[in-house]
Order: sequence, then C-alpha cells, then structure tokens
Amino acid sequence: MNSVQKLLSSDETIISSHEVSLVQGWMRSSKHLIILEKNRDLRGLLVVSETVDYALPIDSDFKFDVDSESKSKNVGDVFISISYQKQKLLFEMLPPSKANTFINELLRAMEYQSRRKTAGDYSWLKKYSKKTDLSLENQGVVMDASKLLLDYNEHIPRHSVARGAMQPVAARDSVIKYQMGMMEDQYTYTQGIQIFIGTWNVNGQSPSCSLSDWLSITTDPPHVYAIGFQELDLSKEAFLLNETPKEGEWLRAVTKSLHPGAVYKEICLVRLVGMMLIVFVEENLAQRVDHVVCDTVGTGFMGKFGNKGGVAIRMDLEMTSLCFVNSHLAAHTEEYERRNQDFHVIASSISFNGFLPPKSIKDHDQIYWLGDLNYRITDLDLMRVKNLINQGQYETVLEHDQLKRQHDLGHVFSGYKEGPIHFRPTYKYDVGTDEWDSSEKARAPAWCDRVLYRGEDIKQLVDYKSIPSLKISDHKPVIALFNSDIRIIDMNKYRKKLEEVMKRLDKVENEFLPQVMVDMNDFNFDTLRFLEAQSKTLIIANTGQVPVRFEFIKKCDDSNYCKDWLRIEPYTGFIDPGDKCDVKLVVYVDKRCASKINSGQDKISDILVLHLEGGKDLFITVQGTYERSVFGCSIETLVHLNVPLREISPDKLKELERSRDSSSVSTYSVPKEIWFLVDHLYRNGLKQQNLFEHPGLPSEVLLIRNWLDTGSTDPIPGSVHSVAESLLLLLESTAEPLIPYNLHEACLTASTSYLQCKQIISSLPLHSKNVYLYLCSFLQELLSHSDENGLDGKTIATLFGQIFLRDSPRSRNDPSARERVNQTKARKKASFVYHFLVNDFSDLISPVHVS
Amino acid sequence: MGISCSQMSSSGQYSYSYIFKYIIIGDMGVGKSCLLHQFTEQKFMPDCPHTIGVEFGTRIIEVHGEKIKLQIWDTAGQERFRAVTRSYYRGAAGALMVYDITRRSTYNHLSSWLTDTKNLTNPNTVIFLIGNKMDLEGSRDVRYDEAKKFAEENDLIFVEASAMTGENVEQAFLETAKKIYQNIKDGKLNANMTESGVQHKERGGPASLGDSSSSDKPNCSC
Ligand SMILES: Nc1nc2c(ncn2[C@@H]2O[C@H](COP(=O)(O)OP(=O)(O)OP(=O)(O)O)[C@@H](O)[C@H]2O)c(=O)[nH]1
Ligand SMILES: [Mg+2]
Repeated sequence: MNSVQKLLSSDETIISSHEVSLVQGWMRSSKHLIILEKNRDLRGLLVVSETVDYALPIDSDFKFDVDSESKSKNVGDVFISISYQKQKLLFEMLPPSKANTFINELLRAMEYQSRRKTAGDYSWLKKYSKKTDLSLENQGVVMDASKLLLDYNEHIPRHSVARGAMQPVAARDSVIKYQMGMMEDQYTYTQGIQIFIGTWNVNGQSPSCSLSDWLSITTDPPHVYAIGFQELDLSKEAFLLNETPKEGEWLRAVTKSLHPGAVYKEICLVRLVGMMLIVFVEENLAQRVDHVVCDTVGTGFMGKFGNKGGVAIRMDLEMTSLCFVNSHLAAHTEEYERRNQDFHVIASSISFNGFLPPKSIKDHDQIYWLGDLNYRITDLDLMRVKNLINQGQYETVLEHDQLKRQHDLGHVFSGYKEGPIHFRPTYKYDVGTDEWDSSEKARAPAWCDRVLYRGEDIKQLVDYKSIPSLKISDHKPVIALFNSDIRIIDMNKYRKKLEEVMKRLDKVENEFLPQVMVDMNDFNFDTLRFLEAQSKTLIIANTGQVPVRFEFIKKCDDSNYCKDWLRIEPYTGFIDPGDKCDVKLVVYVDKRCASKINSGQDKISDILVLHLEGGKDLFITVQGTYERSVFGCSIETLVHLNVPLREISPDKLKELERSRDSSSVSTYSVPKEIWFLVDHLYRNGLKQQNLFEHPGLPSEVLLIRNWLDTGSTDPIPGSVHSVAESLLLLLESTAEPLIPYNLHEACLTASTSYLQCKQIISSLPLHSKNVYLYLCSFLQELLSHSDENGLDGKTIATLFGQIFLRDSPRSRNDPSARERVNQTKARKKASFVYHFLVNDFSDLISPVHVS
Repeated sequence: MGISCSQMSSSGQYSYSYIFKYIIIGDMGVGKSCLLHQFTEQKFMPDCPHTIGVEFGTRIIEVHGEKIKLQIWDTAGQERFRAVTRSYYRGAAGALMVYDITRRSTYNHLSSWLTDTKNLTNPNTVIFLIGNKMDLEGSRDVRYDEAKKFAEENDLIFVEASAMTGENVEQAFLETAKKIYQNIKDGKLNANMTESGVQHKERGGPASLGDSSSSDKPNCSC
C-alpha cells in the first residue's frame, strides 16, 4: 500500500482496495488489489504484495469473473478471476463478506470503460509496474498444473512457504476449478462442427415459398443454425407493440426447411421489432448446450427504437462459448458513420444476464455477427458498378465497399474477419426477379447483407454466398458456413483428472499441516524445594513445511494451561520452518501452592497440551519430587508435630493436613516454628528499625526454611529481617489464613467495634486463636519499643491485617474487586487488627504451656 | 478458450459439503496411528512411535455422491494420558475404537473405552470397533466371534482389519461416514450443532487452512 501511495500523482486516487490471496499452482500468497483512478477517467488495477506485482489497465482487454460458492446468499468464499489478454489470475477475496464493495467498484470501472469511445492512454500505469503480462513464470512460479502433479516437490516454492509468504491452497470449488482449468488440454478434445449462419432482409414479406434452397443446401446437415431476419414486419403494430404474426410464420417456415438429414432443437428465438434471430442445434448436440441467454438493443429512432439495432443469443456448447448477433444498422448510403456507431452501441450494450459480471459480446470464444449491415458502394458510377458485377469483377467493386473500407481503417468490426465475397450484391432487386432496382430511386447495388466472425478455431468454408432463387424480398438471403472447433470434455478423463486434483489437494493439506518435534516429552524435576525455582528447557523445532503458531492450551476443566507451580515462557509463539523455539519450564513452589502439595491436593505432576494452530496437539509431561516444608503446613498440623517435619513421612503429613484436627490434644499451643521465629525476634529484633518492612535476603530465608524443617539445634541463621520475613511467609503459606475465610465478612463488619472483634477471635478454633493472640501480644511488645524501632501501630495493623485476613486466591483474581473496594477492605482489616494492638486482651488468653 | 464462470459454478460441485469429526481410541500400540496413516497416505508405518498427544489428519471422501471431509484425531493410547485425551471426545461424529487381536488385554479394556465414549460423546456418535493386526493370524489372542458378539451386544459396527496390509481399513472409515450420513438424513443428527461433530458447509462455510478464523481444523482440546 505504501509503495503505491508514494507513487500516486496528484490526479490519481485509490478508489478501492481489497485483501486477497493469489492462487498460484498449489500455493496461495497474500496480496492486495487496488483500483486506481486517473483524472476521474481512466482506471487501472494493481496487484500488490510488498511492491506492485502487476499494473493492469482496466480497458477492453480486461475481464473478470466472480465465482462465489453461494452467490445469492452472500456467504462463503468469494473468488475472482482476472484475465488480461488471455492470461488469468485467481484471487480469493479476504474476507468474503466485504468483497461486494470492491467487486461493485470493479464493475463500475469496467462499465465506465466500455462506454468510452476512444481507447485511453494507460502509460501512467507504467510507473507502478511494467508488468502487464500476467504469466507467473516471471515470478518463478510454474503454473502448469500437470507438471505439478507429476513432480510435486520440484515446483513447490518451498522457500516462500517457509517465509510464510505463501500457504498451500485449500480445497475450494474455485481452486479446483482453476486447477482443472490449468490442464484443460488433458481431458478435453476438439471437435469440428459445422455452423450455418443465414441472414435475410425479408422486406416485411411472408414466407410464401420453401426456404430449402437457402437452408438446406449442404451435403451434410449442419450442427448449428443461426438464422437472422431483418424487416420481418414493417407494420406500425410490430413497431409499436413489438408483436407480429410474422414471427410464427417465419419460424414455421424455417423449421420446415432445415436440413432433412438431422433433427433440430430450437435453442432460442429472440426478436426486436423486425429483427429476429433463431438458433437451432442438432438434437444430440443440443444436450450439451448450456447457459443460453439473449438480449436486444435498439438504435433506431431517437437512437433507441427497435426499427434498427441488434439482437443476440449466447450459449455454451460444451466448453466453448458462442455468441450470435443479428443486427440491422442505419440505412442510407452516406450514413456509414451512423452504421459504425450503431455497431459500437450494439457491441457495448448487449449484455447477457445471469453472470457476474454480465457477459458482453466480446466475452465469447466465438462470435458470429450477421445482418443487414447496410454498408453501400460509394465513389463508383452506378453503370460501372453494374457492368463490373455482370462481368463478375466483384473485387474491383468491393474496393469501394464502405464496410471493407471502414473495417480496414479500424473504425468498425475490429478483430472480426469476413470470408471472401464471390457473390452478387444482395441488394436491391425488384421483388420477384433477379433484376436490379428499377424504381425511380434506382438504388445502387450493395452488399448490405453480411456475415462476420471473430474467434479462434473458426474456419470459413467456401460457402459464403447469396441465394438468388429466393425472390420475395428486395434483398437476397445470404449464407455463411463455418467449420468451427469446439472443445469437448472427455468425461472419463475429466473424472480421472478431478480425482487426481482432489487427491493432490488432500495431500497438500496433510503435508502442509504444521509439524514440530520436541526434544523431550517428559520433564522430571528432582528435589524441588519451597521457594527454589528450577527450570528446564523444552525445544520445539518446526520440522514441517509451514510456519507454526503454537500455544499451550487448557485441558477441559482446568482454569489455566498449567498448574500454578509451573510457568511456561513463552507459552505461545511462532516458529518458521527449520527454526526452533526454546521454551522455559519453570517450577516454583511458593506460598500460593505449597499447602496444596503438602496436603496432597496437588502434586508436582502435570500434562501440558502443546497445541499447533491448525494441527495436532502434543503432550508434555512435567513431574517432580517435592521436599516438603513447614511452609504450607496448617497451624493444626504444626501444633501436632513433635518432631522436625523432615522426619515424618509424606503420607503422615497428608493425613495430618487432611484431618486438620483442632480438638485433639496437641503437643504445642502454638506451633514451635512460630514460637522459634517470634522468640528470636523478641530477643533480637525489638529495637530493629523497619522490622517487617525491610525485606529479608532470599538466600537466608532458604536457610531458615532448612533450619525449621530439619529441627536444627544451631542458632537461627540469617538477619532479623530474614527471620521476620520467614514468619510472615509461614503465615501466608497456609491453606487458609489465620482467621478463616468464612469469618472475613464478619470481621470487616465488626472492625469498628473492639467488642465484636473480640467475640470473633474468641470463637476461632483454639490453635488459631492462640497463634493470633500470641502474635498480637508480640506486636504490642514490639510497638512498645516504637521509640527505638520507629514502627507505628497503623502500619503494623495494616500489614498484619492483610496477613491474618488474607484474601482468597479466587477473590484476588476477581477483576470486579476494584482498587477502591480493596482499599476500603484493607482499612477495615487494619482497624480489626489495630484493636488488638492497643487493647489489653488478656481476658482472652488461655494459659500457654510449652512442654 | 477457457472454462467460463458459468460453466462450472454450480455450488459445491467439487468441494466437500460436510465435515465429520472422528476420534480414534484404544490402548497403546494397537495400531491407531498406523490405521490413520494407512487411510490418509495408503502406506504402512512399521516403526511408528507412540503418539504423545493427538495427531490430526484429513481426507475427503465421497458418500452417496456427496463429498465429505473427514477430520480425524488420533489420540495417545497410554493410560497416563487418559484424562487428557478425554477432552477430545466431545463433538466427535464417529469414534473408531481399536484393539489388537494379538493382545487380549487390549480387548479386555474395550469396556472402559466404551464407557468413556458413551459418557463423553453424543448419543448418535457412531462407534466402530476395529480388531487390528488381522494379518498376524498366527498370534491371534482374541477370537473373531467373541469380538463380534461383544460388538453386537453393545451396538457397535465391527470389522477386523490390518493397518499393515490395508485390509478393511478404508471400509472402516467409509462405513462410519455412511452411518453418520444416514443419521443426518434420518434427522437424528443436527448438522448445525457443534456437539454433533458434523458441520454442513453452507453454514458460513469453513475457511481455509492457515486462516485462523477457520472452523475446519482443530482448535481446542475441549
Ligand atoms: N503386523 C501389524 N503390525 C501393526 C499393525 N498396525 C500397527 N502395527 C504395529 O504396531 C505398533 C503400534 O502401532 P501404532 O499405530 O503406533 O499404535 P497406536 O495405537 O497408535 O499406539 P499409541 O500411539 O501409543 O496409542 C507399530 O510398531 C506398528 O508397526 C498391523 O495391522 N499389523
Ligand atoms: Mg499412535
């Protein structure tokens, strides 16, 4: 886009653009299509990737087809194929829902161009890209699908795929059609058919004679008849109401006189006032005719009435599209320019519906244009014309034929051919004779009635002639016989090819599924300890053909893609083919998860699901042995522990944790671990500045952990800050806070009343109450030294409020718990605790007995 | 000359109109991955590693003239993954339940696989029992008629097959699709519900491979 924007001149604008993917062989790559307009006049289409791939004039050579798999319903994929001078590109519109706007712009651009009288100068497009040749060989992509089928590997632009610039195509109808189109030659063959074109200006007469002399003169029956009439009915009714009994009369006459050697089916009849065109196809061949559409255009009075103009019929015969046009162009010798203009109006106005965009005459493989074209002989003396004709010197006369001259000048029928004329002019005769017009006007003879054709594979047979024996009109009928090749599908071969294409697409899809290898599926961490992170690296290597996006995904009922003791970094990522990605698996048991592991509710074991976008899933197993610790043990368990934690079995610990028995006789009234830590602080920390505020050293906290877990008899290691932190950590690692969750609401409500707060505390389970009061006594002691340690009751209350009344992990994740709500909550928690820092609560204390 | 738009654009003429989701389940080593490979690639993989995860394969088949895209998930058979692989059952239109005719234990476990399948899929999920490795007749450990009886009792379709020779492999996948298709035609399956494991193409139309919004590819293990 940028590259285009930079090149825009001031009179050039971008009208519309659309994201597409260009289908090339079995691959597709992402592009943009941009419609440009210059000077509010000429338009061009750019195909853009990083730079502009193609710059195509939207001129008369530009064509496009829309191919939506469900045109009417406006859903599904939309493909457009753009062709320019016989070459074709297929694009998938992304997203399909927005394609309409762009397609409408393209249609408008084409419609606008078709109304232009002169060809435009499109050299301004060259600055974007010189490439107007759509052949993809230029881009190193071979389009020949047959080769692709035989030698798949060689022609896949793997490096482009690897860069992510290209992706394999998907099995869509349009893609399959395109693939099939690429190898049309392999399942089609051509067959010559004889096409009979007849034209006759019948001057309003009825068919009073047999037409066999005209329609049934070939030895073999033609395969296709296209028979055109002009001036079928000159009456006012026919002109005004477009109704005439003549239609039926002539149709019957024609039908009767077709070649008796075959049975014909009437494919279509179209009439506008006096211009009528009928197409017949031989019965067997008729089954292969499809998409028959007709249209008419008037160019007569006021430039639009049907006394002049054209009628046309199009059809597909097997794979070949045919178009027949019957026209009656403006009369009078001097009006040749009007005739030229009529031709152009017909050529651009005839529009066959049922296609998107509607097809016009030029969009056909073969075009047969017949009619009373009305071109005359000029600049030649009437007598001389007659003499030359009598001598059979048609060539000399034809040099003065307006049609030949205008055609040579490129003013009309460009691209069309006409067979050599070896017959007398078809106009104007005295009715019932072969004599030239003997009326007062004595019109000069002229070849008014002609047949031209355009397209490959059409061979004009010698039979281009008039039929003098039909004398009811002032014109003689004309016939032109063609031997034309049409392309026919060999259904057997076609089915086989289709099968191949489908198989190939399947294969492409499977082969281009994302593939990775991991260096290990099983990760074992041994001796994991509380607060000690361990990490291992998982290497994901992209061994497939396409870029891979991976992500660790949740298993069904889980809330996260891994357990809370595990971190995956990164948990999602993108890997190019041949590349790899290191993923760090970090196991870290902290205060959030220690209790669950102690109780056996969780263990160091997880199966991770590594999902490849658009592909398979891999399982990664993570396991480890955890060395249990007092951190994460409940108060109830700790008071029952009369030996160091390490000395009891994991099962015993689980049992203790599960029973959480607060009633049975315990060894201690407060856990010895808490007592040790508090006692240490009591002895060494009362005068310590910033106690509980200053963080401890992580390494010392680990030493303290070991000291507690092993029941060491050495002095407690580490600074008072580390001891203080360990104390807090011990309180924070339990499954439930010291004041259980179910009492929190009550605590917050009671926070203004010491009496109520006391009631709640007295209702606590025995051991929790003991610990609570024990700690508060200690904190009171600590605060009595505030002169030395600088601590104040509010700060301590806030800190311990958060610890004694710790929020549940669930509420912490709750996004609805807003900042302000939390602050209010924190204040209430602090006031709750504060009561116990400033009041004497000795009435609550039951005697402490440490044995 | 070219194929004009009109000539071939009738909707869905080539491409598939349905997507069916299959799962392949059964004990480890019974040949699930080999069956999938044989079906998608027409080849036998003699040294197939254990599947640690869920493999994915597709193939377009034809049933009664209608093109159907099979989306096949081959699960890990190892017991330790059982809890995880259960999350892949949901939304399967067809379940291929495989045992190894040379290993009786894999046959004995069928009832537990069947329980999972019945619990985790919808009532119309077509369950197809495959006795794999029929080429190893000499080491047969499970008689055909007893497996046949088991299948009949539990309303399963049954064949013995060989992922090695390819015998009956195609048939198993196709028969399952035919049965599902029949269920749709009979109105038993609603192709518009995700649980059915069937997607009708008209319904928004699946996007293409590599397109993240696509629905015709695996997305979540749930
Ligand atoms: N002879 C014989 N061997 C087979 C056949 N099918 C599979 N095997 C072999 O059996 C072994 C296991 O096959 P897999 O396809 O990996 O088994 P699986 O069911 O996918 O196993 P998991 O992925 O562990 O669940 C492989 O060594 C195969 O070569 C068969 O039909 N005949
Ligand atoms: Mg496997």
